[in-house]
Amino acid sequence: MSSLVKCPHCGLRPREEFTIRGEVATPRPDAGADEALWFDHVYLRDNPRGEHREYWHHSGGCRRWLVLTRNTLTHETSDVVDASTLKLGERA
Amino acid sequence: MRDYPLENRGAFPPHVAAGAGASISLAPVKGGFVIHLLGDAKSDEAALKKALAKIAPELGADVRKSAPNQWFWVGDADVSSDRLTEIQAGLPSQFALADQTHGRVRMRLSGPSSRTVLAKGTMVDLSADLFAIGQSAMTQIGHIGAMITRIEDDSFELIVLRSFAGSLWDELNHMAAEFR
Repeated sequence: MSSLVKCPHCGLRPREEFTIRGEVATPRPDAGADEALWFDHVYLRDNPRGEHREYWHHSGGCRRWLVLTRNTLTHETSDVVDASTLKLGERA
Repeated sequence: MRDYPLENRGAFPPHVAAGAGASISLAPVKGGFVIHLLGDAKSDEAALKKALAKIAPELGADVRKSAPNQWFWVGDADVSSDRLTEIQAGLPSQFALADQTHGRVRMRLSGPSSRTVLAKGTMVDLSADLFAIGQSAMTQIGHIGAMITRIEDDSFELIVLRSFAGSLWDELNHMAAEFR
């Protein structure tokens, strides 16, 4: 298992320096959306086999929120970006 | 900004100086200041250092990056709260200062074995080609968050939250015991 994470700000750091928040949820539903949609958004989580996107907080280093793409089978982390960059990109 | 005088009391237990043959020494850095500097997304470290050197040449512009657009500004002089207000007023508006002198303390680990001792607690690679003199890293030593800065080839300065200082001090003494 790879326990090193390449923080975009600090470089290679051990997993112990991070706090894991969990899956990057789908975009927030509209305020008036159906209750089932909200239930899904708030409570239901996927448990994929393979690529998974998760929020990780570099609590023992730069204290930035990161979005990490991790393979749940091999624990390989393919892509790590600062969460603030998501606002500019695919998740408005 | 603090508007009351600080009572300067050491955060460390009384310590015994290392023996003459010891290859390691741990000592508190007394006095001085630690100021947290925060910038906006477009802050530029070189410009910040230049501005600080111009506004407060007597304090030196030793800034150590702790996170994107955040630094610890560290020096050995004592800074009054009036002086700090002046400095803030002179800085470009994208920067903010927060005095951390009361909350973060410095200690120095020196000697030929200092790198080996630190390697027991942190996984940051401290070899000279990757971690040059003047370079800093915000990391953990064991479970305690600390900033490591290389001061000389064989000397490191650690900045740690005051309430964790005693604990880190004890831990480092344990880690260094074999070299004393």
